[in-house]
Amino acid sequence: MSTMTPESFSKRSFVYRQLAGAEFAEVAGGALATDFKNGRAQAEKSGLLDLSVLPRTGFRGSRAAEHLKAAGLPVPAKPNQAEQSANGELVLRLSMKEFWVLGSLADNGAAIDALNQRPLPDSDCYALYCQDSHNWITLTGAALPETMAKVCGVDLREASFARGAIAQTSAARINVIVVNHEVKGIPCFSILSDSASAEYLWESLLDAMAEFGGEVIGSNALA
Amino acid sequence: MKIMHCPLNGPRNISEFVHGGEVREMPNPATCSDREWADYVFYSDNQAGVITEWWLHAPSGYWFIAERHTVTDEILKTYDPSEIFNQRVEFSKEDAAAPKEATA
Repeated sequence: MSTMTPESFSKRSFVYRQLAGAEFAEVAGGALATDFKNGRAQAEKSGLLDLSVLPRTGFRGSRAAEHLKAAGLPVPAKPNQAEQSANGELVLRLSMKEFWVLGSLADNGAAIDALNQRPLPDSDCYALYCQDSHNWITLTGAALPETMAKVCGVDLREASFARGAIAQTSAARINVIVVNHEVKGIPCFSILSDSASAEYLWESLLDAMAEFGGEVIGSNALA
Repeated sequence: MKIMHCPLNGPRNISEFVHGGEVREMPNPATCSDREWADYVFYSDNQAGVITEWWLHAPSGYWFIAERHTVTDEILKTYDPSEIFNQRVEFSKEDAAAPKEATA
């Protein structure tokens, strides 16, 4: 198992070259960095986690909300809000008629594959493929608003950007979707950005985090 | 930093927005003259004063409408396009199957 590398799979994270030294596990046909030997304490302080190989999907149209409800997922009431299902999937409402669903570490995204197998309503709902177009990385820890303030002009402090809020804006001069959520008591900002700029954003965030003792972490740090 | 108020996302840096041209009424493509269509597609009024324009908030891919004073560059109002466009524009299949003959 220890010899598994991202290169063992043809499906790879957009930042797999930055993950040298990690331990990997197979997730959804790719390699997810699970351990950087720094554990939960680092995630609570300041961590950067790559979740790009974890499945995610999206739906758009006036019947998209109905489709998600039928699949047993929570539907946020207003745009720019996110809700978490009991299994840990994040449902993002990006506008009145557009939703993204991010897979959970609990089942390595198996529920997303099941959701994609469900037949769509016969009209006014179509699938969006955000798996390959968008990179998914998660900032964790106690200094999230302070870290983001170095790269983003929007106020992401608790008072104006509470848990469950989404900001669609630019950070480090590229377009991003920032989601405020929590995994096992650790505050997280999940960031979705254009996959072509993934390595650039990764480096920019690591640079911003250095001041707060930030390091790359594996998914086990959130366990 | 100049701030624009996006109806979906709230106040954002102006660098996140892309200008999309004036809001104009579309002539009926099946019955209008080529000149009217060209006028709709290519020309703008370029008025001095308050105009209604399309703007895009690029990070969310959201199009909306803004009223802006072209002399002072002041943005007076922004709102969702559903306030003006409340039904889908359908182009009939007959129009697509038999395009108008090109005029010399």
